[in-house]
Amino acid sequence: MAGNHSTSEHQGGRHKVEGPQKHIIAYIFSLVLTLLAFTMVAAGEINTMFTYILLLVMAGIQVYIQMAFWMHMKDRGHMYATVGILTGVFVVFTMVVMAEYWVWW
Amino acid sequence: MSAHTHVDGQLPHEPEKATLEGRNKVLGFWLFLGGETVLFGTLFAAFLALRNQVGDGNPTSQELFDLGLVGLATFILLTSSLTSVFSIQAMHKNQVKPMLIWLAVTVLLGASFLGLEIYEFFHYVHMGHGYTTSAFSSSFYTLVGFHGAHVAFGVTWITILIFQVLKKGLNTVTAPKLYVAGMYWHFIDVVWVFIFTVVYLMGKVA
Repeated sequence: MAGNHSTSEHQGGRHKVEGPQKHIIAYIFSLVLTLLAFTMVAAGEINTMFTYILLLVMAGIQVYIQMAFWMHMKDRGHMYATVGILTGVFVVFTMVVMAEYWVWW
Repeated sequence: MSAHTHVDGQLPHEPEKATLEGRNKVLGFWLFLGGETVLFGTLFAAFLALRNQVGDGNPTSQELFDLGLVGLATFILLTSSLTSVFSIQAMHKNQVKPMLIWLAVTVLLGASFLGLEIYEFFHYVHMGHGYTTSAFSSSFYTLVGFHGAHVAFGVTWITILIFQVLKKGLNTVTAPKLYVAGMYWHFIDVVWVFIFTVVYLMGKVA
């Protein structure tokens, strides 16, 4: 058990220490998306369905940034994490469709 | 199993994954987050089904929501996600003091978010939007309040971790806790992205 170290320790000693730049860019990008979403709704010029779709797409991108970069899901060794979250998302998707289209049918 | 330490007494590069216990903690936390996703999903589904069931004369989402306030709350929470990333980056460089400072900033931002939310709910109740006013109000408070409760828990948790690190230092036992708390904090922001999109923005458009 004690010999069961993570692979990252054995990649030849030198570790790449990542700087904050990447995260600041992700932060600014998220801020811009948020601002866009709020302005779009505040302006209120575009038709409802189109606004909904655009809002959901922008939310999707923000969530991707959070999970891939900030929760490290894009890094190696996150297979179970992806499976766990996707299983949750699948259940959620089913429930939301049910609530939206079935309850008031 | 015993805590893993390097020969030179230095922390390993990713101290949260240096021990089997640490790795299991991270994996277990991902499974927990999968469960949390389902939990919030049910609340979102209930809200989506009930959001137009306002009843006669009760305030609707268009009348209630103030985009300025929600925008400010969103900005605060997004910023706290960044400061939490910085604390984990500092942890990976074994810089305990900057790590603790970034954690404290995260806690402060989380607390201000909570303050805004309490003010918001107070304001709504004043406008005649109580918990039992309508199906819309009940599902709204349950969903947004549950997220707020998660923020409150996160603020408490990270505060306790700060004191634990002050007392016991940064090692392979405390590092996984900090890493997992960081994941939790990002997850809270992920849920908030959907709340401000689905509840507030879509509610304002509808």
